[in-house]
Parts: sequence; C-alpha cells; structure tokens
Amino acid sequence: MTPLQFEALYQSEWQELEGLLQRFLGGRRKADGATPQGERLAALYRRVCEQLALARARSYPAYMLDRLERLTGDAHQAIYQRREFGIAALRRLVSEEFPVTVRAHAAYILVAAALLVLPTLIVGLLVYYRPDLILAVVDARTAASFEQMYSPVAGSIGRLRGANTDWVMFGYYIMHNIGISFQCFAGGLIAGVGSIFFLIYNGASIGAVAGYLTQRGLGVTFYPFVATHSAFELTAIVLAGAAGLRLGHSLLVPGRSTRLQSLVSATRRCTVLLYGSTVMLVIAAGIEAFWSSAPWLPPGVKYGVASLCWLSVLGYLTLQGRRRAG
Amino acid sequence: MTVDVLDTVVTAETPEGILLELRPAGLSARFYAFAVDWLIRMVALNIVAIATRPIGGVGFAVWLILLFLLEWLYPVAFELWRSGATPGKRMFNLKVVMDDGLPVTPVASLARNLLRAADFLPIMYGAAIVSVLVRADCKRLGDLAAATLVVHQPRTAQKVTRAAVAPLAPVRALKPRDQAAVIALATRAPLLSADRLDELAVLAASVAGSNSPPGSQLTQRVLGVAEWLMGRRS
Repeated sequence: MTPLQFEALYQSEWQELEGLLQRFLGGRRKADGATPQGERLAALYRRVCEQLALARARSYPAYMLDRLERLTGDAHQAIYQRREFGIAALRRLVSEEFPVTVRAHAAYILVAAALLVLPTLIVGLLVYYRPDLILAVVDARTAASFEQMYSPVAGSIGRLRGANTDWVMFGYYIMHNIGISFQCFAGGLIAGVGSIFFLIYNGASIGAVAGYLTQRGLGVTFYPFVATHSAFELTAIVLAGAAGLRLGHSLLVPGRSTRLQSLVSATRRCTVLLYGSTVMLVIAAGIEAFWSSAPWLPPGVKYGVASLCWLSVLGYLTLQGRRRAG
Repeated sequence: MTVDVLDTVVTAETPEGILLELRPAGLSARFYAFAVDWLIRMVALNIVAIATRPIGGVGFAVWLILLFLLEWLYPVAFELWRSGATPGKRMFNLKVVMDDGLPVTPVASLARNLLRAADFLPIMYGAAIVSVLVRADCKRLGDLAAATLVVHQPRTAQKVTRAAVAPLAPVRALKPRDQAAVIALATRAPLLSADRLDELAVLAASVAGSNSPPGSQLTQRVLGVAEWLMGRRS
C-alpha cells in the first residue's frame, strides 16, 4: 500500500479522532468513559495505534508519522487520565490511606522523633543549668525579647507586645512552619543529611528557648502556650522528617533495586505523609495564633484541651483505619 | 524503529504496544518557563500587597498565606489542572508528564515541587542545573524522585505541500528506508533553496536513472520518483 492510499483510507478516522480529542481536552472534563463518545474515542485510539505501528514498519513519510504520533500521544493522555480527586478519594485518604501510611513508616517516625526530642531535652537541660549558654544560640537582645514575649503580663503570649495581630501571626505560622516541614522532607534527598540536620536544629532551638524560659521562671506562661499546638506542630514536623529520612534511606540502602528505582518507589509511598503533615500544620497555626496566645484562658483549660489534642492526634495516627486495612 | 541518531528522545511503551516518543525539555526552555512563572508570582504578590494594605492585619495574613501558596503549591495546582503545565511552561509549550507518558499524578506533582528545595542547593538551583545538563532526559532531582519528565508538547503538524511534478517510476527497487529518504526530500523541498535542493538531489540520482547532469532537471526527476513512491501514478 502506498502512503497516499494509506492516508486516503484512514484519513476520515484521523479527522474524527482529532475532533473528539479537541472537544475532550479543550472543553468539559466531565465527559466520562461510559458515554458513547468515550467508547468511540477508545476504539479510534486503538485503531490509530495499529495504523501508527504499520506506518512505522513501512517507513511512511515523516509528516504522516508525526501526525499519527501526535494523535496517539494526545489520545493516550485523554484516555489514561487519572481521576484521583473528589470527595470519595479525600475520604479514603483521611480515613485509611494516611494513617496506614503513617504506621507503615513507624520505624522512620521513631527515629525522626528521637532526632527532634533528644536535642530538645539535652539542650533544654544544658540551658536550664547554664543559662548563659543561651547566648551561644541567640544574642542578648533576642534572649531579652523571649522574656518579654512570655512575660505573664503580656497582651498576648508568644509574640512581642503590640507587634502583630492574631491574623498576622496565623499567616506567619503557616508560611514559616509549613516551609520548615517541607525542608525537612526535601533535605532527605541529600542522603537524609538535610532531614537529620533540620530535625536536630529545630529540636535544639526549641530546647534552648524552653530551658531558658523555665530557668527564668516563665514556664507558667510558656508551657500552657505550647502545649496545645505542639500536638499538631511537633507531630507534623516529625512526619515530614520521617518522610525525608525514608528518601535518604532509600538512596543509601536500595536493596535489590537500583538507587533510582528505590528512590522513586520510596517517594511515591512517603509523599502521602506530607498531605497529613501540611493539614496538621495549618491546624497548628490556627491554634497557635488564636488559642494558645490568649492570656485570659486559665492554664488549666489549656492543659485540658492540650491533652485532648495529643490523645486524638496519637489515637488517630495509631488506630484509624486498622480494621479495614487488616 | 530504532535509528542511531544523536537525540534526547525518551520512548515510553503504551499498553497498546506502541512506543510514544517524548522529547525532554532542556535547560534553556525550562529556565524561560521558570522566569515567566517567577514574574507572574511577583506581580501577583505585589498586586495583593497593594490591594490588602488598607485592610491591615487580616490583609497581611492573606498576603503571607499567598506567599506560602505561591512558593510551594503554585506549580502543583497548575500541573494537576488538566493542562499539566504552569502558565510559564504553557507559554513555551512544555508539559509535565510521568515517565511512561501518562498525565502527572497528584503524589508525583507534590513530590517534584516540594523537592525543589533540594534542587535549589547549594545556591541558585545549582543541583537542578547540573542534573538537567548531565542527564539525557533532562531531569532535575525532583523529577528523578517523582518519576516525572518535562517534555516539549508536539507541535501541530504542518500541512505538507509537494511540488506538482509528474510521477516517475524508480529505475530499481528501493528499500523502505531509501523510499522514506526520497519522500522526505520531496516534503522538505519547499523549505530548501533551489541550489541546496539540487545538491541533495544528486545524492539520490541513482534512483532516477541519472543520465542528466546535476541541476534542476535531475532534481525534477528525483521529485518525480518521490511522487511515484507516494502512490501517484499519473
């Protein structure tokens, strides 16, 4: 068969497919595979695949191959679209996929938690017994501003007096804290070193501030302030760090696959942790800006709500979705 | 079809058994797209900053949240939104797809954009630049981990017009690849200067029973053979 005969024979199918694709990709997304149009699209796609294979085998002219390649490429994109969005997918993610993924990463999470909590305790105790060590972490003015931020007479706890409103702090916490969690994750790509660094660094910073304030007798305002939102914030940082550690581990110990394959499959699994981590940090930002900072709430109430939050976060992560997954 | 040419084409096999050809985008195209996106983000941030200044605290909060969203999730939103490309990428006809040519998945899009932070190291996207330059498939680190590719979208095929020449049977049987080469010359003829066309036609002179010297007459004969090979007989 000569190229011109081939073209004349199948031209009408190509034009029909081009028309369908234009409507499918350009217009409504709703056109689902069950409509006659979808069936026709799939049938035409299979035929064009055949024709492309024939045309290649027969070395037909380049312009014809180009056209067929473009057609198959576009149809391939249209037909294999994944629809992972929507309420049902979200419900499955919250009720099952995320908590199950968290438990699948239990070992990484324990290591990440240790990398965050141990520096907190060590640096915290060091600064508590040797308060001048705080000057190794921050300068004197910043240290003084900590005292001002957590002074019992402050207008709102955790920030400089009159500096900012609740809303500004909410925006700031979102930008800053979620940025930190993303860095904890991305740092994993440098063989895990970045994640380890960010976890230890943040742990040490928290420890330094906590130890210093406790030593200055400001624990009465500091601990009620951090108790509630830390349930979400620290957990979220640990989850992001754990995802980063997994990336690093997959590169260092690829097992029986190549390093690249190992990295790809690790990324696909552990990125799910970032979904939950990000949502938890948004919750934490809301609590930190509007609840934790309120000076008129008695510490008893804050501690009560805090323990409720810690219990529900840990309960959700350890128990949710067990039955269905099992 | 394997042709040993110097090219960066990546082939992905579909379930239908055909090979899709994906053309990874190199550093310059990606840089331009990035620059356009960066400009769009800067403009958006400045507009919102000016618009929200009178509102005060809440306005500043909105700005900070927008800063965060634009920094991290701007590409994710556009990549998952049907076209698979941010405005900058679309301007340069680029698109993000999976390694196997499929539309990018939510997990992969999120991963490749969060891992941008690693690509930024040590400064100014140094890791990304090195990775894109040394790899044949032009992936940055985020693309490596997420198994994605940034590809050129195929251009819409141009209408090919061949010169109206009387068909002429070749003097000997031609292999398929030789046939394709002669036809390719004919389809490129309108784009070439007359002298260059004559030069190229000389290479194919043997198919046209060359007793004529190089020149437009020989060229017409070669183009005639191409017409015959395409299937015209009169």
